[in-house]
Amino acid sequence: MTRGLGRGLPALLLQRLLQAGLVAWMVGTLTFVLTRTLPGDMAYRIAAGRYGHDMVDTAAAEAVRAELALNQPASSAYFGWLWDLLQFDLGRSLVSGEPVVRELWHQLGHSLGLAAVAVALSLLLGPPLGLAAGLRPRGMLDRLSEVVASVLRALPPFAVGLVLILVFAVGLGWLPAAGHGRTAHSVLPALTLALGLAAVSSRVARNAMADVSQSAYYAFSRTKGLSDRLTFMRHGLRNVAVPVVAYLGVQFVYLIEGVVVVETLFAWPGIGHALVHAIVARDVPMIQGTALIMGLLFVLLNTVVDIVCHLLDPRRRHA
Amino acid sequence: MTLAQQAPLLHIEDLAVDGDGVSIAPFSLTLIPGQRLTLLGETGSGKSLLAQAIMGTLPKGLAARGRLHIAGQTFAADDTPSRRKLWGHTLALLPQEPWHALDPTMRAISQIAESHRHVAGRSRREAGAAARRDLAGLGLQDAGHKLPSELSGGMAQRVAFAAASAGGAHIVIADEPTKGLDATRRDAVVALLARTSDDGGSLLTITHDIEVARRLGGEVAILRQGQVVERGPAKRVLTSPQSDYGQRLMAADPSRWPVPRPLTCKAGKSVIEARQLAMARGGKTLFEDLSLNIAPGEIVGISGPSGCGKSTLGDVLLGVAKADKGEVIREPSQSRLGFQKLYQDPPAAFSPHWTLRRLLDDLIRRHRLDPAAIVPLMVHLNLDPALLDRRSGEISGGELQRFAILRVLLLEPCFLFADEPTSRLDPITQQETLSLLVELARERHCGVMLVSHDPALIERLCDRRLTLGDTDTKSPAAITDTAAEASLSP
Amino acid sequence: MTTLVAPLLTLPRLSARQRLGGLLLASLLVFAWLVPWLSDADPARQQLTRILQLPSLAEPLGTDHLGRSLLARLAAAIRLSLGMAMLSVLTAAVPGVLMGIIAGWRGGWLDRVLGSLADACLALPGLLLVLLLAAIAPGNFWALYVGIALVLWIEYFRLVRARTRALAASPQLEASRLLGFGPLYLFRRHLWPELAPQVLTLAAFGAASAILAMAALGFVSVGLRPPTAELGLMMIELLPYYHEAPWAMAQPIVVLFVLVLSLNLLAGRDPR
Repeated sequence: MTRGLGRGLPALLLQRLLQAGLVAWMVGTLTFVLTRTLPGDMAYRIAAGRYGHDMVDTAAAEAVRAELALNQPASSAYFGWLWDLLQFDLGRSLVSGEPVVRELWHQLGHSLGLAAVAVALSLLLGPPLGLAAGLRPRGMLDRLSEVVASVLRALPPFAVGLVLILVFAVGLGWLPAAGHGRTAHSVLPALTLALGLAAVSSRVARNAMADVSQSAYYAFSRTKGLSDRLTFMRHGLRNVAVPVVAYLGVQFVYLIEGVVVVETLFAWPGIGHALVHAIVARDVPMIQGTALIMGLLFVLLNTVVDIVCHLLDPRRRHA
Repeated sequence: MTLAQQAPLLHIEDLAVDGDGVSIAPFSLTLIPGQRLTLLGETGSGKSLLAQAIMGTLPKGLAARGRLHIAGQTFAADDTPSRRKLWGHTLALLPQEPWHALDPTMRAISQIAESHRHVAGRSRREAGAAARRDLAGLGLQDAGHKLPSELSGGMAQRVAFAAASAGGAHIVIADEPTKGLDATRRDAVVALLARTSDDGGSLLTITHDIEVARRLGGEVAILRQGQVVERGPAKRVLTSPQSDYGQRLMAADPSRWPVPRPLTCKAGKSVIEARQLAMARGGKTLFEDLSLNIAPGEIVGISGPSGCGKSTLGDVLLGVAKADKGEVIREPSQSRLGFQKLYQDPPAAFSPHWTLRRLLDDLIRRHRLDPAAIVPLMVHLNLDPALLDRRSGEISGGELQRFAILRVLLLEPCFLFADEPTSRLDPITQQETLSLLVELARERHCGVMLVSHDPALIERLCDRRLTLGDTDTKSPAAITDTAAEASLSP
Repeated sequence: MTTLVAPLLTLPRLSARQRLGGLLLASLLVFAWLVPWLSDADPARQQLTRILQLPSLAEPLGTDHLGRSLLARLAAAIRLSLGMAMLSVLTAAVPGVLMGIIAGWRGGWLDRVLGSLADACLALPGLLLVLLLAAIAPGNFWALYVGIALVLWIEYFRLVRARTRALAASPQLEASRLLGFGPLYLFRRHLWPELAPQVLTLAAFGAASAILAMAALGFVSVGLRPPTAELGLMMIELLPYYHEAPWAMAQPIVVLFVLVLSLNLLAGRDPR
């Protein structure tokens, strides 16, 4: 990974800002295309979904039509759509009638909580295991963790979740399978995500540690007279951390994807769950809102990774 | 005190290394304070393994035998963990390739200070002050805040030296300390090493460079395939070696090479001519107002410190790069194919995926050459036909460079730019390769521009020489186009 | 042509894990294509009289909640997944490799334009883009395929571009050029042998990602529509019956696992 090597932090942040703009534009455009491809009587059907079949009338359908700007020519509707997006006016959900922003606010909290626990858990599991394995390449621990990581990488997050449910909720009955509210509810979804993340980060850390421990500078530090512990602390940790943190940026793709399926599996009332629901119900403003928030979250997390890399690696600051 | 100085600092009895197809015959040495020993040998002679056996850092699969007496303590050579406590305090190892030996994410001064603090046991403040003193003493006062990637090879070697010796070790082992450095930087590192023994320490240097051994003086041992073939005072071993291998090795020193046959036809004609060339890279002027011409069969040497634009000049002459100013006039009767190049690192100049036969066939088919030309050339270049069925990575560097010569000679070139073609080869191979090159160039009236960082080599082989980027005269393009008075040299 | 294929066929001696992966994948292929030959069961035929039956001689893998033959459904699902994976790998690899070579070779503005294009495609996490496309064309195989290919080409592009760039400036290429060889030769003798093994590794990883992505979409019910036999869809359909028929639900999970594992093993070491 040569993420942003040789560029200053301001240039990097500017690039991330551009990316955020691009995300907003892409989401806006794709959802706009979506409004235009809705089958003919969509306004009626959505109105029926919102107000009930008995209540649907022309007025209600008109309201939906106006909401989606279906009554305007495509070009002006498109710019109006983007203009609203720019002002963060995301409209109202076609299903619940609530402002999208308010719904997102609740869901975002749930998703962030889940993601934070998952990332923290994966960092506790993955890199330490990888470091231990990398210090003794081809040792027992290395081989064992490689097998476990290969198995976990071959299972999609929802399958990992299913297995966890079968073992801990159905088989042992220790934890609730789905739902939300108590801490116990968050254990299985967070663990599901964390296992997938840790499977990769443990191997990244392992390879980095193996490279560093076989490097000339690691050997030189020891022959200089520094103890193994000091060599690890002073020359191992930082050099291993740089690739591990940089790779986190790649892993966030997995995290975002995992959030979508894991929330659906565990009925976790977060943004991923809402996105899937909105797609099934063709609730365009909600699709736009949830996709936008997830995309922006992705950019934000990557920005954090950039900043941490910048602080960790003096080569980036000096270049 | 006087008694302690008489006792040897390092005494090695029958140290041998075995395993993994490597074997080094029992080797003994004694170093008293102030003494220097240089192990001289080619790559693959096992000289680095001896250093690792003394330190106790042999790679897995290799085992050492024998006894070591280090600063009054006795160790069995295979008891590696026990020597760990000597590292830094008593035994210092100066690493190969200092660039890689320094932590890429840590500033130079911290890498020295940590030795002062954690090995010599100074307080944080004293350690910082000592590191600054070290840097100033080495002429690096401004480099303390730099990262290794921002240091030159010579600077990095000085930083590594300070970091390795900060612990106060009296026995210094230097493993190829001048690898990859040009002549001036090499001499500076040698002078630095010499300080150790001047201060009452002992120095064991491992090198393939005869010049390093000559400058260090003291005692020299010549190693070949794990055996010491000759040892004795540097003066004697390096001037009148007794062993057969020692004689060949010394004869391979450029200053002792036979003088090539003089250039016969020097009738005004030139194969390539450059007029008022000027070139700058990254704001730095490499050369300007540079004019030169090369006659058929003439060998023109070109030297200068690394980064002075030697390779760039070659690119301009060959038409690979374009000069900022000036023009290049190539022999009009020749196509572009008449202007060829030899590369510094032979394996890098071949596709590693195909056999050499395949690559030569490609060339012959591409230009409808006569395949019969290959065999006599192979004989001449002393290449075994069986090598044709190997890939470039499967033969030695010397053989591959002779293949590269063969490859370009098939095209009957009139000009050859040889960019340090032997700098990665052992001295004996270097001499063989270059004398063949010169001989063939004369025979085939091919002008050669030979780049080298070794002034003695250029002096010996070349009809004329050119120096780029002479730092003494401040002018970046000081060019001395003087005839080397080859015939007058002994 | 033979010289182009040769490095593919004489692929570096496969490691033990790659051989294991190849073996697993081959057995899945044999299974998926032999089943329709040996059994006449239709993956879509419902028999509500015999739902969730345990494996028997007549139904070697049992039946699902609608009485459909799980054997036939799994075989169909593997064929679908692999077909989809092949298709998206090809459509991602061919333009990805071509553009990577062009960008790495030419450099300059073309390189910057293609690089920005790749960055733009990665601005959104892949699944999000695919989900939005799936929303525009619900249940459409082609929408999924375009979306997945759109995300996957970038890896080929980046890898090939980096290797090409390094090689384009290398002495071996300069030497061959000075010796009078043209671009086609340089590609055949220098570039392709270098790129082929790495592209193949990426292709195997890419096939695994495509299969996982399609299953994930099926699982959250925005992918292909029932009654298609698709692994993710089968899992979510059988999920409510995990108590009565755990063996039924386990089957698509195991098949997906073996499929992805075999491709991951076959890929060897990750070049990224």
